[in-house]
Amino acid sequence: MTSDTPAGRRFRVFTRRRSAPSRARRRIGAAVRMLAALALAGGVYTAFAPGASAEDTRQLSGAAQEGKALFDNSCISCHGRNAEGVEGRGPSLIGVGSASVEFQVGTGRMPMTRQEAQAEKKPPQFNEAQTKQLGQYIQELGGGPQLPSGSLVEDIEQNPEALARGGELFRINCTSCHSFGGAGGALSSGKFAPSLHSASAEEIYAAMLTGPQNMPVFGDNEITPEQKRQIITYVTQQLQEDKDPGGLFNLGRYGPVTEGLAIFLVGITLLVFATLWIAGKS
Amino acid sequence: MTVTKNDQHGAGTEPVDLSDPRLSRFEIVREGARRDDIEIVTYESQFPTPNSKAEKRIERTIALMFLLAGLLGLVFLAAYIFWPWEFELGHARSDYYTPILGISLGLALLAIGFAILTWAKKLLPHEVSIQDRHEGRSTDEDRQITGQTLLFTVDELGIQRRPLLKGAIALGLAPIGLVAAAPLVGGLIKNPHKPDRGQDPPMFRTGFDPVANQGRPVRLTHEDGTPIRPEDISVGGQITVFPGVPHGATNEYADSPTLLIQLRADDAAVARKASEEDERNKGAMWGNYVAFSKICTHAGCPASLYEQQTNRLLCPCHQSQFLITENARPIFGPASRRLPMLPITVDDEGYFVAASDYRETVGPDFWERP
Amino acid sequence: MKRRKFDLASVPGKAAKGVDERYQVATPLRGLLNKVFPDHWSFLLGEIALFSFIVLLLSGVFLTLFFDPSMKEVAYDGSYTALRGTEMSAAYESSLHLSFEVRGGLFMRQMHHWAALLFMAAIVVHMARVFFTGAFRKPREANWAIGIALFLLGFLAGFTGYSLPDDGLSGTGLRIASAIMLSIPVVGTWLSASIFGGEFPGELIIGRFYIAHVLLIPGGLLALISVHLGLVFAQKHTQWPGPGRTNSNVVGERMFPRYALKQGGFFMTVFGVIALLAGLFQINPIWLFGPYRASEVSSGSQPDWYVMFMDGLVRLMPAWQIDLPIGDGYVIPPLFWPAVVGLGALTTVPMFYPWIEARRLKDTRSHHLLQRPRDAPERTGLGAMAFTFFIVATLSGGNDVIADKFHISLNAMTWAGRIGMVILPPLAYYLAVRICLGLQQHDREVLAHGVETGIIKRLPDGRFVEVHQPLSPVDDHGHPLPLDYAGWVVPKKMNRLGALAPAVKGFFFPVEKPVEAPVSPAVPPLASREDREEITSGR
Repeated sequence: MTSDTPAGRRFRVFTRRRSAPSRARRRIGAAVRMLAALALAGGVYTAFAPGASAEDTRQLSGAAQEGKALFDNSCISCHGRNAEGVEGRGPSLIGVGSASVEFQVGTGRMPMTRQEAQAEKKPPQFNEAQTKQLGQYIQELGGGPQLPSGSLVEDIEQNPEALARGGELFRINCTSCHSFGGAGGALSSGKFAPSLHSASAEEIYAAMLTGPQNMPVFGDNEITPEQKRQIITYVTQQLQEDKDPGGLFNLGRYGPVTEGLAIFLVGITLLVFATLWIAGKS
Repeated sequence: MTVTKNDQHGAGTEPVDLSDPRLSRFEIVREGARRDDIEIVTYESQFPTPNSKAEKRIERTIALMFLLAGLLGLVFLAAYIFWPWEFELGHARSDYYTPILGISLGLALLAIGFAILTWAKKLLPHEVSIQDRHEGRSTDEDRQITGQTLLFTVDELGIQRRPLLKGAIALGLAPIGLVAAAPLVGGLIKNPHKPDRGQDPPMFRTGFDPVANQGRPVRLTHEDGTPIRPEDISVGGQITVFPGVPHGATNEYADSPTLLIQLRADDAAVARKASEEDERNKGAMWGNYVAFSKICTHAGCPASLYEQQTNRLLCPCHQSQFLITENARPIFGPASRRLPMLPITVDDEGYFVAASDYRETVGPDFWERP
Repeated sequence: MKRRKFDLASVPGKAAKGVDERYQVATPLRGLLNKVFPDHWSFLLGEIALFSFIVLLLSGVFLTLFFDPSMKEVAYDGSYTALRGTEMSAAYESSLHLSFEVRGGLFMRQMHHWAALLFMAAIVVHMARVFFTGAFRKPREANWAIGIALFLLGFLAGFTGYSLPDDGLSGTGLRIASAIMLSIPVVGTWLSASIFGGEFPGELIIGRFYIAHVLLIPGGLLALISVHLGLVFAQKHTQWPGPGRTNSNVVGERMFPRYALKQGGFFMTVFGVIALLAGLFQINPIWLFGPYRASEVSSGSQPDWYVMFMDGLVRLMPAWQIDLPIGDGYVIPPLFWPAVVGLGALTTVPMFYPWIEARRLKDTRSHHLLQRPRDAPERTGLGAMAFTFFIVATLSGGNDVIADKFHISLNAMTWAGRIGMVILPPLAYYLAVRICLGLQQHDREVLAHGVETGIIKRLPDGRFVEVHQPLSPVDDHGHPLPLDYAGWVVPKKMNRLGALAPAVKGFFFPVEKPVEAPVSPAVPPLASREDREEITSGR
């Protein structure tokens, strides 16, 4: 049973974004089958159009050629030959840069399982090396933003102001969608800003740089690389690492909605039980 | 002590002689209850034999609960004094300060509550009493007497007979009443339309009004006051900009935050066409750049959830959605008015400036909005 | 001079005599001590609100010792590293100081906030109990109206308190409050400018809200709560119908010794639950919100739960703007209807319900006996309708979080709320009335035919019938005598008649001794189990 059956769809509403392992396995199963079919199609295609392929690979580096092979297997059906895009299925990838590939493929958002409002984070299909190769291919095809080398997080021992500065930048630029606590939030018509609680520094950096899906682009002129590192420092050190001082449970940091739920489910429920006991005949 | 209904006591029964030395304390209590129209129907110990095993067991439970409460109270005090409480980043012992206080105090109080309730429920005699509820109304005589007394007062004052006094009181006391109200209203009241140092009232202008900048066009700046060049915004990118005047990024200019967006070329063409066709937004775009007020026209929250593919702007407070490419027209939710557009251009040094102030009133709607 | 021996044991007695000689308290005190209260779990719900109010006062006094209601800009230099060096108002700075540098300050703050949520939740639950049992009827109409006023005052107390820390979330709430004031026709701008002392946000609002939050509103709450309790005391509590309980008496326990002790224990329980909540669950982490800036906002911005219904109505309101083409043109923005008219109507119209119902039923009698919800189907239906409306509005107040966490389109959530608001309340009315009538019918059936025993008997002609245990004596033909419904629980299971000893002690259903539970005042109580005859009578 794939997740496209009615039963699978019905339960989607109640599952968290971090998929249950069984569903992930089902998805991977479907993806493997799709991969096999695409590999076959790609193989047939290469066999019939050897000239075009030979021409393209000439300028590509070794890693990029590996990446191209992967691309032609898994991505070509939506993003088209030479990543020029297919109308109505997938956008052109010319100029999106390796940062974009590393974000989309590295977080498992690409390849998409099906067309929907927004690609969801899921266990990645390609390992790190393959992701880099795909990125290299796209980079060499049309250029675009790249992840810088070196640490993406400031050392708060040496630069203690980075955290507060990052927090300020986070509140100006990021909270409107990802919320104060980094729990994410809803956008129009089924789109959403994902939670940042499990995002890595590379993912956050790449997302800011490339503006995946509906996220605005925060290029290096809008938010300098140093400022990006400060924001990442705030997200990773404060929002992800810091334990909430206000209790054992932080109620997901969703604000008054879960607090209101808690007062009825915990407070009122406990106390109504107490009244039943107090007034009950002993 | 056990009383059942067979004993003849309570309301409707004979009063007892309180001077009788043989009376037990309970009998006196019951006499008091009788005088308050209470009939104690049942008052029986839950333990037929005093000092029974069951009773002892409950006593021990209650004692244990009180001792547990004391112990937890000591835990609270110890944690309160010795546990590190100042904030530390990351996983620190101080993160458990509040939980330890809460759990120890909470459980201590619950233990006391449990002990008291067990005491009341298990150790104290079971009781059923019936009290008469005197129907609400007073006797006719009392009504008559009270009513006549009040009317007598009115008669004696003679307000009915002395119209001059009636008028004088009304005219004399009304101003005194107003005097009481005047400081409250008068002290608080503020005319929102009063011109501010010869300029438009603040309600109708923002920090981008050149008047605030000695008549020169106001630059668009980052929150730290640095000006912005066109290349500082990526395609499909947006930044929040503030008027480049002193305190421009503070709450002093709460209506001024503006969203500066560089649209993709094809979206920009659509947006330009729409803005050129509009009377007020004509010429407000600069290249592929647009600037819209960040303050939602609905309730004033910053409408800043920009979706770069759909070009929608979502307000997180009440989910109004605005379409950037059509003059930020509201397309969903409770907002009824579009976001005002800031006319922008680039000055000689290559920085963004506001060509003029907003051409529409910024912020939530109100009655006399022009 | 010979010193008199000091007799310690006689001190209280002497002191009491002395007090009475001066203040003559013995007689009124006796009346106070001798007060009978009926006992039922649902009568304790209002106490939850009362006790959380006491916790609010206690924790609130602590907070005032450290809070600085000033909007002066200062730079933070406390132990919370992620804000160090940030410019903020003194109010926010002192709230952070209170949370991180004052010993137990965060705990107190969280206790105050949880107590506030519990206060409002208990008010609503208590109000539901009063409504559905008809406890608001004459002579208690005024107390019902006071209860609604208490909800409104609590709403204001909560909102002003929520605004005080001047953090990013509460500032957004203040901004919306100012927009709501602005939306009022004609006087809107004047009202907003007067309250904020100029344009939003100005520099005065925190100080003004502070005095309202710590003095004016709590003073009003205290006064109204005193009147509320005083009236309960003077008019005596309502009671459920039952054996020996009539409209002109109160059956229960005297206040002393047992009832008062139970109340004390319950106070400790409420206090304990609030302390546990405050220790276990983080509430309103203002340090994550940052200082308020007009340009910053967070997705998932909501007010506290008791304001959420209003926010939900505002979200669901279609963009209907009224333009008045007079002079320069005037507008009534769509925000006005849900936020001003809606809130006003929802908090004032229910106040008049007791008089409306009395007028409709032409009922001028005093009622001290409660009605089971099933016995007043129309009222129950109306209540179900009102609560459905309230719940749809409240859920819509958090519809973005629901949309995000359950993967529903945000726009679909808004439409679901808009449609649900119109369709669900009447549906709830219909369902509630049908359920009430069904329950009534079942009660009458059991009274007429007896309790189902589960024993199936085959008749000589081959038919199968279930044997019923009549609740009343039978006539000469073995048919049960008809019983009148007494407005109280009709036993529907043999166990409730004492057919079997209860397996566990009653918790949800107090297992009453059969002697205490006759089904109708007109009929003598059932004999206890030992001397009851074997079931022989069938139908």
